[in-house]
Amino acid sequence: MTTPGNQVSGQAVEADRVSFNYSRLKVLEGLSFGVPRGISFGLLGPNGAGKTTLIRLLVGLLRPGAGTIRVLGQSPSPRVAHLIGYMPQLPSLYAELSIIQNVEFFARIYRLNDRDERKRRVEAVIKLVDMWEHRNDSVMRLSGGMKQRASLACAIVHNPPLLFLDEPTVGLDPELRVTFWDYFASLTRSGATLIISSHTMDDAAHCDRLAFMRDGRFVAQGTPAELRQATGHPEATLEDAFLYFIKQGKKDVG
Amino acid sequence: MSANTLTIARRIINQLIRDRRTIALVVIVPLVIASLIGVSVPDKSILDYTAPAMLAFLILFFGFLLTGISVLRERTQGTMERLMASPVSRLDIVGGYLLGFLLFALIQTLIIFFYMVYVLKINYYGELWQILVFQVLIGIGAVCLGTFFSVLAKNEFQMVQFIPLIIIPQLFLCGVLWPVSQMPDYLQWLANCLPLTYGVDGMRAMMLQGQGLLDIGKEIGVLAGYAVALLVLAALTLRRGVSG
Repeated sequence: MTTPGNQVSGQAVEADRVSFNYSRLKVLEGLSFGVPRGISFGLLGPNGAGKTTLIRLLVGLLRPGAGTIRVLGQSPSPRVAHLIGYMPQLPSLYAELSIIQNVEFFARIYRLNDRDERKRRVEAVIKLVDMWEHRNDSVMRLSGGMKQRASLACAIVHNPPLLFLDEPTVGLDPELRVTFWDYFASLTRSGATLIISSHTMDDAAHCDRLAFMRDGRFVAQGTPAELRQATGHPEATLEDAFLYFIKQGKKDVG
Repeated sequence: MSANTLTIARRIINQLIRDRRTIALVVIVPLVIASLIGVSVPDKSILDYTAPAMLAFLILFFGFLLTGISVLRERTQGTMERLMASPVSRLDIVGGYLLGFLLFALIQTLIIFFYMVYVLKINYYGELWQILVFQVLIGIGAVCLGTFFSVLAKNEFQMVQFIPLIIIPQLFLCGVLWPVSQMPDYLQWLANCLPLTYGVDGMRAMMLQGQGLLDIGKEIGVLAGYAVALLVLAALTLRRGVSG
């Protein structure tokens, strides 16, 4: 596997005072943060905190009302899209097609033009998510967890240096959740950067850095250890830390 | 034409081929409609006069319906969002839809045409290949129309509402059932703005008067203009559909 994280210099993601409204509804307000290359960055918060909107801004599906976003040193656009992997919250697969047809389609779209390389990558990622035996099954016949796995395979088939994963572990059984996190760790070790949204603190513990979100704002940023320590209680869990920062208001402990 | 356009078109064709029920409907529904027209029209000469116009209308109707619902479903299932986050351009996406759905719109067109010619025994003049080329042009317009309006609709219910709003009025205004020249002036003006008028005029000129493609340059030009304009509009408004 190549080390995709070394393909371009600078921070993987930079956001400066980013705000976004849906009509009159404020969804994100003044978010500023940077994500160094080669780490997993968790966006943690309850439903409605603005995690999905932030990810959609970062992949270029939405444009910020105010502020600037840089992704791999460029504004989010089709020019940089081939370096990005995106796994939406819904599995977002073509239900009539088989798993292998779905993955092959995204391999072609993401410029894996060499036939042999494409075949090799498609086979590798389907095996990686443990779906090789089901590769010819229609997606509509798959369970929720299987769809999540197939969706992940589509997002990583082109070996992107930057991955946006919107609630990737929702609907997975505990064993598969561990498998996913092992794989995410192997990706960051190879130099890739992962931005992962979640609303469960189990996921948070696996991330290198975290941003706690609430009502469209970051209430705290730091490593899991830093966020726990900042509560002043050595035994504090990440859940305790989240509740602590909600009460305290905005903090940057990193 | 880019490789991405072909990749998207191939995917759409694969999707529809694997959906056997839809394929069955693509084949059977036009046959049912054509049969109903055939048995309900009392006079053979009326059928000969009506058939070219009905052919143009049915191509528009089925092309619009198939494309509109399919593109909308792609948006509501989230696959469009995934595609919009990828390196493909909006023109690639719309071009891919056009190619992919056009194939099925053409299959329906050919089924209706040959059923009318060989089973209902309608008379026609003009070169067969030229008539089919013109039908392809109407099919392209229908697919572009369906793609554009699917971008404006937010769910299947809204998309279906576009049929009585966009398609059915053309049945009454564009000379399918009675001549445009017998309608009030303001309706004639409106008819001249609608694409089906040119589809109907072109089909009648070819099938009833034996004219060729070179003789219906105006109809071809207007339909091609409509198709290009709708294709560009669909590409321009696609992002709006995703960000909702």
